[in-house]
Amino acid sequence: MNGTAKRRSDQVLGGAMIAMLALVLAFLVTPLLVTCLLAFDARSFLGPLPPPALSLRWFEKLVSLDYVATGLATSLKIAVLTTVIDVLVGTAAAVALDRGSFRGRGLLMAAFLSPLIVPAVVIGFALLLFLSRIGIVDGFTRLLCGHVVITLPYVVRTVLASLTGRDRRLTEAALVLGATESQAFWTITLPLIRSGMVTGAVFAFAVSLDDVAVSMFLTDPTTYTLPVALVSNMRASFDLTIAAAAVLLMAVSALLILVLERFVGFDRLLGQGLFRS
Amino acid sequence: MNNAVEFHGISRRFGGVTAVDDVSFSIAAGETVALLGPSGCGKTTILRVIAGFERPDAGTVSIGGRNVTALKPYERNVGLLFQHYALFPHMTVAENIAYGLRHRGADKREIPDRVEAMLALVRLQGFGARRPHQLSGGQQQRVALARALATRPSLILLDEPLSALDAKLRQELRAELKQVLAAVNSTAMVVTHDQEEAMSLGERVFLMQSGRIVQVGTPSDVYGRPDTRFAADFMGRTNWIEAQVTRRETGFARATSRSGLSLMVPDCSSDAIDICVRPENIVLSAADAADPDGMANSAKGRILNVALLGATRQILVEMPGGQQLLVMQANRVGDGLDPGKAVRIGFPVAACITMPASNRAAPNASI
Repeated sequence: MNGTAKRRSDQVLGGAMIAMLALVLAFLVTPLLVTCLLAFDARSFLGPLPPPALSLRWFEKLVSLDYVATGLATSLKIAVLTTVIDVLVGTAAAVALDRGSFRGRGLLMAAFLSPLIVPAVVIGFALLLFLSRIGIVDGFTRLLCGHVVITLPYVVRTVLASLTGRDRRLTEAALVLGATESQAFWTITLPLIRSGMVTGAVFAFAVSLDDVAVSMFLTDPTTYTLPVALVSNMRASFDLTIAAAAVLLMAVSALLILVLERFVGFDRLLGQGLFRS
Repeated sequence: MNNAVEFHGISRRFGGVTAVDDVSFSIAAGETVALLGPSGCGKTTILRVIAGFERPDAGTVSIGGRNVTALKPYERNVGLLFQHYALFPHMTVAENIAYGLRHRGADKREIPDRVEAMLALVRLQGFGARRPHQLSGGQQQRVALARALATRPSLILLDEPLSALDAKLRQELRAELKQVLAAVNSTAMVVTHDQEEAMSLGERVFLMQSGRIVQVGTPSDVYGRPDTRFAADFMGRTNWIEAQVTRRETGFARATSRSGLSLMVPDCSSDAIDICVRPENIVLSAADAADPDGMANSAKGRILNVALLGATRQILVEMPGGQQLLVMQANRVGDGLDPGKAVRIGFPVAACITMPASNRAAPNASI
């Protein structure tokens, strides 16, 4: 092959890659845009796009619904509690898994990460059976248990990744400078894995807020999360309230990321975890 | 002089591999020694045993007269300069230096002054508020040194202190490191695989091979009078001439090399010998010149190859009979040492290091 042909083949491949990326991006973003548009649709039925007139009627309906407010309150409570428990338990688990080569380490790791692979329906059903067997029938506790189970792997994974990526000699440097093992953990290891903890916490919070499949099994008539409430509502009477809810949830997520960026310095935190001297 | 460090019969095995095999040595207070050896020879394990990261399987370690074998790293006062510095990236330079002071229970009010003094020692005044990643490699190394010295350790370990720096910076920092170590009058051990670093920093060199210390001496001793073929090869370039002693006279012996050169060498006990001649000890002169003064060994040869290294050249000379000799010669203008040219080589008796030929069996180092 001569030089021009080689160069041509590179250009073709590069062009194809850009086209593919654009396609994937469009595939990801288009539904979101359509949802946003529909949420402001003034028509009371699902008509062809674009909507002839815009209104806030779906948002008004959304806030007027009692069960949406109840569901949102439960969802937020569950998500915050889940995140706190995840960060504490998940960090401890990751530190233990990172530490040593004890017997059954691989098995334990698989157990911690298994909720990522096991279908949510299986987890939900299994938890429902197990929790009622051991006498936990309260909806809130059940939901909390379920959400911790399905979100813990995210924290374990991100913290484990930042532990693996850190320089172990930093801990040794601390020890040789007179710090005990626990002092070295608090002053050196913890600040360096903070980015992993924050990332894991954000994932855990988002997954908890979003979960339907597991939560369906664990709700009781008085305790339900927002997504469960929305799904039930959609089944009962389909209208565009759900699009309005989706837009609000998107706004909350975007706000969350902005706040993290502004006040915690998300970039700096991430950067520090990756920094090598 | 009392010993700062005593190593007595230390062994350390990892699985089936003996990393350190019954090693004993002592370091005098205020002395700088270099622990030198190829990678995998066990020198890093010795460093880790001294620092307290590894427990030896056998033997005792004493620092400052105290048996520290079973003590944790934070229960001994050893400074350690890590190969890649291991500065805490989330702390400022001043916080890095203060870390040891805080954890070794220094008076809180004295810490800022001490940090300033350490910054001054390594000529980094005004850098206290910077973060490690804002510094150059050489500056990071100086911060690491200041951090290691801040607690006035009874011993400072330096792990390949200069290997992460480029060649030019290395020479500057080598001199500076020596000055700083002298200024704090600290006992130091440099652990390195680089014989230049070992010879320039260490007052004594401990040469290691396969988990054992095979030779101890001043740098010029170990370089000029290696005990083994391994030591000779590891300390620098050498020419090996395999020879047979033919006649012994007072003070020297006559020998004939396998390729037929007749040589005068220092007196030695065995008959089959290996002669080691350092390339810089061989002098080149014009082929038709008379035997140069003081060069007991002299012969004609032909230049095969010249490698220019800047200030010096490595010239490969082939002797009649096929023996090739490497000669290190200053790179002077217009001396006409070109490939193909006939030359006369010469070297004195004293330049010949002889060892019994049985040493040939000694395992060669992988450098």
